[in-house]
Amino acid sequence: MAKSPSLANLTALRDETVLRRVRHFGSARNGLQEWRLQRLTAIALIPLGLYFAASMLRLATSDQVTAAAWLASPVATLLVILFVLAGLAHGLVGLRSVLVDYVHTRAGLLAAELLVRAVVVILGGASVLAVLKLFLGR
Amino acid sequence: MERPLSPFMFPVWYRFQITSALSILHRLTGIALAVGSILLAWWLVAVSAGGELFATTHAFLASPIGVLLLFLWSVAFFYHLCSGIRHLAWDAGYGFELPDAYRSGYAVLAATALLTVLAWLYVFLA
Repeated sequence: MAKSPSLANLTALRDETVLRRVRHFGSARNGLQEWRLQRLTAIALIPLGLYFAASMLRLATSDQVTAAAWLASPVATLLVILFVLAGLAHGLVGLRSVLVDYVHTRAGLLAAELLVRAVVVILGGASVLAVLKLFLGR
Repeated sequence: MERPLSPFMFPVWYRFQITSALSILHRLTGIALAVGSILLAWWLVAVSAGGELFATTHAFLASPIGVLLLFLWSVAFFYHLCSGIRHLAWDAGYGFELPDAYRSGYAVLAATALLTVLAWLYVFLA
């Protein structure tokens, strides 16, 4: 590490002194937290996504009873809920960055962001409720 | 003020290269996966509810359109996964040199193709 410093370590995001100054004088919004949330969820989604994809492949030709039994197991319940929540949080950050690029009026941007947030909350709530219902066995 | 936005560059002044194409593809597959989360939630609710809702959902997913959507989403998933790892490597400061960027780009495409083929072979052979 010492002989060839990482380029990322040379940027403001890694330099704590620069970071403090940027926090103080820079944008008053939440860009850095959002940037970190996007990377954090990205890292979490590597194992969670692979687990979910592998599970889907195993279930691809199965019936509802098999799928429900899988989803009701504690490990699947936990990991699928985490996958959905991390995926939606990651997707929300990504979609917001797309909207910021292509929606050029303040009102339009606000409306689009509210819509996307509403859809994300509904999808997340429905997914978690569905999985928990099976897990709790009702 | 009316300024031209980047897409106007494309056919005339901007030569396509794999690096920019993959970058655009990363965003497109991300959007596709976000749309796919609607189907994911729908499927989870259908499994949970069972009965007629699951039967309808299953029939849709097993139809040609359903299988095509699942195939496209699997491509989008594997591409975004591999390309995302490439992005994380950049965030950590690795692979910025142009030859490295080209090599990792082709590696992402190859890995996407391989994972997609393996996944669908498993579905059809298992």
